[in-house]
Amino acid sequence: MSPRDTTLLLLLLAAAGNLAGAEPIPIGSPGFPPSSVDAAGRLVEDWGTVDIQLSGEGIVDGQARLSPIKLDDVIPAAQAVSEHGAVRMTRTVYRAPIFPEGVDVLQVGLSGTGEKSVDVLMTLDISAGVQLGRRTARIGGRTVLVLPSDAAASQQLLDWGYYDESVSLPGWGKPEGKCDPAFTNIRAGMGGVPIVYQFTVAPGSQADVVLGLCESHWAEAGQRPLRCQVEGAAIQTVDPVAKWGQHKPGTLLFRARDANGDGRLEVSVRPAPRAPDRNPILNVIWLFAPGESPPLEKLIAGQCNDLALRYVDVGGQNDQSVFPPGKLEFRVRLEKDGTQELTFLVACTGGSAPVPELSDWDNDSLLRAARDVWRDWPKDH
Amino acid sequence: MSPHDCRSCCMNRRECLKFVSASALGAALLLPGRSSRAVEKAELAPDDFVDPAALRPKPAVRIAATFLEMPRPYWLGWPGTTYDLETHQKRYQSALDESAQRLGVQVSMEAAPISSEEAVTAWVKKVATQPPDALLVMLQHMQCWNWATRIAKETGIPLLVFAPVGTAFTGHIDNGSRAGRVHVISTLDWSAVEDALRMVKAKRLFEETRLLWIRSNQRNETVLDRLGVKVRAIPRDTFNQEFDKQPATDEVKQVAADFAKGAEKIVEPTDEDVVNCARAYVAAKRLMASETANGLSMDCLGMVGARLVPTPPCGAWTMLQDQGITAGCEADLFGAISMMLTSYLLDRPGYMNDPVPETYHNSLIAAHCTSGTRLDGFDRPPAPYILRDHSESSLGVSTQVLWPKDQPTTLVRFTSPHEMIIDTGTVLANVDTPPAGGCRTSVEIMMDDVEDCRDVRGFHQVVVLGNHRRILEDFCELYGIKHIRSPRHSTFAEGDSV
Repeated sequence: MSPRDTTLLLLLLAAAGNLAGAEPIPIGSPGFPPSSVDAAGRLVEDWGTVDIQLSGEGIVDGQARLSPIKLDDVIPAAQAVSEHGAVRMTRTVYRAPIFPEGVDVLQVGLSGTGEKSVDVLMTLDISAGVQLGRRTARIGGRTVLVLPSDAAASQQLLDWGYYDESVSLPGWGKPEGKCDPAFTNIRAGMGGVPIVYQFTVAPGSQADVVLGLCESHWAEAGQRPLRCQVEGAAIQTVDPVAKWGQHKPGTLLFRARDANGDGRLEVSVRPAPRAPDRNPILNVIWLFAPGESPPLEKLIAGQCNDLALRYVDVGGQNDQSVFPPGKLEFRVRLEKDGTQELTFLVACTGGSAPVPELSDWDNDSLLRAARDVWRDWPKDH
Repeated sequence: MSPHDCRSCCMNRRECLKFVSASALGAALLLPGRSSRAVEKAELAPDDFVDPAALRPKPAVRIAATFLEMPRPYWLGWPGTTYDLETHQKRYQSALDESAQRLGVQVSMEAAPISSEEAVTAWVKKVATQPPDALLVMLQHMQCWNWATRIAKETGIPLLVFAPVGTAFTGHIDNGSRAGRVHVISTLDWSAVEDALRMVKAKRLFEETRLLWIRSNQRNETVLDRLGVKVRAIPRDTFNQEFDKQPATDEVKQVAADFAKGAEKIVEPTDEDVVNCARAYVAAKRLMASETANGLSMDCLGMVGARLVPTPPCGAWTMLQDQGITAGCEADLFGAISMMLTSYLLDRPGYMNDPVPETYHNSLIAAHCTSGTRLDGFDRPPAPYILRDHSESSLGVSTQVLWPKDQPTTLVRFTSPHEMIIDTGTVLANVDTPPAGGCRTSVEIMMDDVEDCRDVRGFHQVVVLGNHRRILEDFCELYGIKHIRSPRHSTFAEGDSV
């Protein structure tokens, strides 16, 4: 064995020993149960585990060196550093004590260590059963992950699906009379987030889009007016109770067009300006070839679903995210000696991560929150 | 340590000075804003004086300001060739200096007006190195709007745009006002600019505040989104233990005497009740000081229900409220945050209320067993008040504050850090108990622009004297808070109800 090989072997053994000996590091904030970062640098939460892997040319597997650190001298954190050939990855985790339960902040720093630029495929391995939105990942109604703002760009998209932070509420609707069963299900944009769907179409093409709505909470008009927008068509603002009545299914027809020519047709429902109830809802979407939408009463009765190019039981069993299930992938280009940092917000025990559209938190204010709390937290508690 | 203001203290000046000097060393250790690392919890003796003025946060508020003008001399275009730039800028500079002095805000003014793209770029770079809490640009030409837009976009710092009449059309204001973190002031009335500075200061006050949330048996701390208030939850028992430890010190006796002396009359409370009320006040101050906190909200009803204290804290909370210290009822967190807003932005106390629609008069009765008395402002004379007991329990001391009739009022309520309900009305009457049941301070309000009193939104809205709709809405828009109001038109009128 050459001296070089011996050195490598010793290094490997030392790393293995370090790995075997490393204890998980708890991540918490005053008064709340901790999460932990395990010896492999994975963040372990009550809902699952967040792991990050790197791949690409010149990139190899690397073992994490885990150590406790303090950010700004006061914030307890865990840091896992791993070498991956041409790339060094530094994962730093701390708890931002935001109201009401806090959120874990995972900062992934990538730095190029080679002589040239490198393309990195970063894979975020999260637990099964997670539904992806535009900026969030959810389990049921709980937002478990907030993605970096530019993360969605590198995701492969399915032919159709929701592209938002709304939640599915099957069985919410109580439609009266004989109607399509999809009127019993909805997605709802809790807190005012829009409901957004995308459909793959021929670039620049036209289509007839019909939206189905059934208001089953409000009995009086004026509570939940909705602003419905389909790409290439005029916006329609509708108050379902005023137009059709409570529990009465109704439909709106849009002559749509892929106006920006990107081959994806976007449908969105938002709260109308000054709507008292800010949670938009949507029950059904039908997509037809242009000029081929059937009589709306037949659609409501559920008699023409087979004619549709796409029929979406919004919030129902066969509804789907536009993002494929499984691992999340991010493509990162590192220039020579370059660095990139991506920040993920991860739900900690019992809590939810803050939905970006509904919150004002950013990296600076999260860190400041942790610093302020730890700085003044009494030693004896 | 900032100077203590005896005028806002519950004691007379002589007694107050005695306490301050006797406890000077102790008080210096009790400042909530003290710089500390891994704080040792302060142990205070029951007779240590806690200066209420020191409980209120005193943040540094930094604003960078500049004039924006086009290259001189002016020729055509608004504000016009006759617009005397030197005179106007001198006047506004002077007004800004005075406002900054009055509010305790640090303004860093550019030495010369900005009049080119390059100068805008340089200023944007400069403020980015150590971002202030807000920027103020004072427009001196209508063609400067693009620069204001650039500054807002490139800095991301809250931007106040003062556009004196003659520098903007409706389109400028419309577009400018809709940008996030931008507040456009199109007027000749300088007080609007001072209000804007006040908004920035209020935000800083929120950011430097720690609120004690006294309830259940948990101890933890979190920070509120958007406002930055630290919420420290402590077990409910903490307060009654502090109360039990609090003897009737000289300070307590003096506070009790002053509180009784200031009342129009005393109906139910005994001397012992009033002393207990003062004990609660002093215990609350000590608790806030020891927790480096600036306000509190407590599960008072739960404590009274469990008979943990001989007095509900209502009267004590009145005293704290009058000194600019938020003291909220029923551990209603966003009720307390709403009270904090009136204190920090409007410099006056409000009271959170249980709303009762008066369907015969079509008015709203806003009732609770505590209210500040300095309704016109912390530095103004108090409204008359009567000492009563807490009506639900018939215990202790609460205040029936007599609100001035025919005066405008505002009802405000954060429903979350992201949304605020704002309504206004006029005081019709003070409702006595009896004949009414319910709470002691009970004010009947005719709501503005709410056709049916049954439609008034919210619970525990904070009632505050004066019509403050405009500044509240502006505050919301500057900091990305949605503001809503009760429906103008009856939701019952067209048979829409269930």
